[in-house]
Amino acid sequence: MDGEQADAQAVGALKTVLDGLGEEGLAERGRLVDAYFNRQGITFNLAGRERPLPLDLVPRLLSAAEWRVIEQGVAQRIKALEMFLADIYGPGLVLEDGVVPRRLVTSSAHFHREAWGIEPPNGVRIHVAGIDLIRDEEGVFAVLEDNLRCPSGVSYVLENRRALAHVLPELFTDQLVQPVAEYPERLLDALLAAAPAGVADPQVAVLTPGVHNSAHFEHAFLARRMGVELVEGRDLYCRDDQVWMRTVRGPAPVHVLYRRIDDDYLDPVHFRPESVLGVPGLLSAARAGRVTVANAVGNGVADDKAVYPYVPDLIEYYLGEQAILPNIDTYDLQDADQRRFVLERLDRMVLKPVDGSGGYGLVVGDQATDAQLDQLARRVEADPRSWIAQRIVRLSTCPTVVDGGELAARHVDLRPFAVNDGDNVFVLPGGLTRVALPEGSLVVNSSQGGGSKDTWVVAEPDESPPYRPPDRPTPRLTRVLAAVPARIHSPAGHDERMRQQENQQQQAGGECPC
Amino acid sequence: MLSRLAESYFWIGRYLERAEATSRLLAEHHQLMVEERTVPEELAAAVLLDALSLPPSAATSAADLVTSVVGNASDPATISGSITMARENARAVRESLSADVFEALNAAHLAGIRGPIVATSPAYALYRVVERLAVVVGQIDWTVPRDLGYLFLSFGRSLERLDMMSRVLAVRHDQLWPEGGPVATLRAAAGLNAFLRTQHPMTGDEARRFLLLDEDHPRSMRVCAANAEDAVRGLAARGASDGGDLLREVGLLRSQLEYAVDPAPDEVDLLAELVQQSTARASDLVAAAFFRPSGTIVWSN
Repeated sequence: MDGEQADAQAVGALKTVLDGLGEEGLAERGRLVDAYFNRQGITFNLAGRERPLPLDLVPRLLSAAEWRVIEQGVAQRIKALEMFLADIYGPGLVLEDGVVPRRLVTSSAHFHREAWGIEPPNGVRIHVAGIDLIRDEEGVFAVLEDNLRCPSGVSYVLENRRALAHVLPELFTDQLVQPVAEYPERLLDALLAAAPAGVADPQVAVLTPGVHNSAHFEHAFLARRMGVELVEGRDLYCRDDQVWMRTVRGPAPVHVLYRRIDDDYLDPVHFRPESVLGVPGLLSAARAGRVTVANAVGNGVADDKAVYPYVPDLIEYYLGEQAILPNIDTYDLQDADQRRFVLERLDRMVLKPVDGSGGYGLVVGDQATDAQLDQLARRVEADPRSWIAQRIVRLSTCPTVVDGGELAARHVDLRPFAVNDGDNVFVLPGGLTRVALPEGSLVVNSSQGGGSKDTWVVAEPDESPPYRPPDRPTPRLTRVLAAVPARIHSPAGHDERMRQQENQQQQAGGECPC
Repeated sequence: MLSRLAESYFWIGRYLERAEATSRLLAEHHQLMVEERTVPEELAAAVLLDALSLPPSAATSAADLVTSVVGNASDPATISGSITMARENARAVRESLSADVFEALNAAHLAGIRGPIVATSPAYALYRVVERLAVVVGQIDWTVPRDLGYLFLSFGRSLERLDMMSRVLAVRHDQLWPEGGPVATLRAAAGLNAFLRTQHPMTGDEARRFLLLDEDHPRSMRVCAANAEDAVRGLAARGASDGGDLLREVGLLRSQLEYAVDPAPDEVDLLAELVQQSTARASDLVAAAFFRPSGTIVWSN
């Protein structure tokens, strides 16, 4: 594994199993895993077609030591970004102190004045975050971007693990993989912790745009695994600053709304008036402190790609710490000098639209034609605020099953998921590894032909205490009449005498198994 | 209805449930053994074999355990054996059973649990078993007249469900795997979603209490006991009564579960044990009253 340092023992065990399977074995399991996802309907919509997110059979390994760095780095970043959001939607000290230029914040499409002054009950705005990481040429994990609005993909982390254990159980032999299944519970606990004060039995619901949304499977998955209602905008209404669900037993209050709808569509009173997905009055209810919207409205300003270069400064400003996870070198194109520097070497840069996601509109310099680069240069000159530039990072690679069951190196990134309950930032061990399946490709987004890998954080053997059998009461179980009518194994055409003997046998014991 | 037919209907019901519930339990247990390798495999395998009243074997790995519990046609405590027995009993009542039910059951038997898939992906193989059994149960629902035979079959299903649920609880996944155990127990009882929609938090004790006493989940012991009682009342209404002993046994069990108030974890264990004993007595009572009626000549050499 190029640039990967997972411990040799785990890699060796994995290699033995994969070698043993051979190309044909791998291809066979590949078909099984596709069938598994299709059967379960674990799909996303791509260009109007439902399809499973391709799962690669080779898990990606992270050692416990590597994971500790990621875990601490992600938690640190989220704490700082929480403080940043509280600041700009409150006193604005960071702007006064000039750490982040005011123009950047106020010009962000995701900075919502409507959210100013809304105090979340437990101070949390980033209930769930997905921080995209890549491992650079030096083997160091660096942050590619933050996702603080509706990061998606966590359902695949859980389902990938289950699917892999289903179709390739032998891979797990001799591996101590940290489990991921607790995520929905952690999320529910964090959402309950964020409930408005004074509510005895807070009701949580997941708000989805509907079945046609590309991530609808995930919305349903999370609602199901948290045991809460999955609602659409039309199921909700606000009255007197309280949010209600329409149920067959009349209105039922909702106290925490885990929404998977963009800000723009959330409340037609304040944002897009034509939105039919949202709930009129939701923002007022949130402002009145009667409902918690998770993630909070206006988070997008903190994961704006133009704010991203300032995050290490924010960590230092708010926490007085050095960023544990570095940023990728990024250029602010509103600055004339930096812009000139970038435009001179466009073929060695990645340019990303600041409002884009899913890899749409992204241009990788060394893979673009001259004509494309010329056009790009003109667009950047015309509207520099809409773009950022980063140097091209050779993402690390992992062995990946390609056509016909062969293993080949493919580029990967990593999206760890974090849940903030106000006291603690929990980072799910592993996260979603996305893999660029076309050879040489650096774009891992599922919307651009990417797949995913199960990501294992492998515990060091001495980390896990030796297993002590628990104090199990010995169950007193008797197979109640594991008997069968004795006749059933008699040869065909058995005579009456035999039947009687069988009857007798039944009378006597009744427990004869055959 | 002939006593012999009644007995076969009863056992069709029992073996169908046994095969299905054992498949689910094995799939989840295996999944945990694979995903969370904190428990030594020999121990995890031995626990399941014990809970299923299968002989302790040389099963030292997850794969061996699958082989043991999938078993073979001649051992009615295994999955293969249960399906075979259900089918053999169906054969014995073929003239009165709907052709659709027999066909579905026969297909499940013929398909077997075999091929490399059992080793490569036990979860997949076991899922296919459950799927085929679902066809049988669907055909029963659609095509079998609600007569005495159906009532014996339903009674058998309810009793076996009770028995299998006490085995699921006896495994104590929560003690073996504190992290994933409670979820696995609920999944093995197809009750994860039902639990999550009504209960919080997820702990082993809560999961066990739910599987014992929930009002709505079709596999909670309380619901199974109520179903068993309904079947016995149905039999009596159609003139097949043993004079009340059987009704008393299942009625008592049902009311004990129905009126249990928030039992502590050790009381849950006691109730689960009570279910075991009561199920065994009910099975004996139904056999004595209906399957070996007076007039059977018993002699010895």
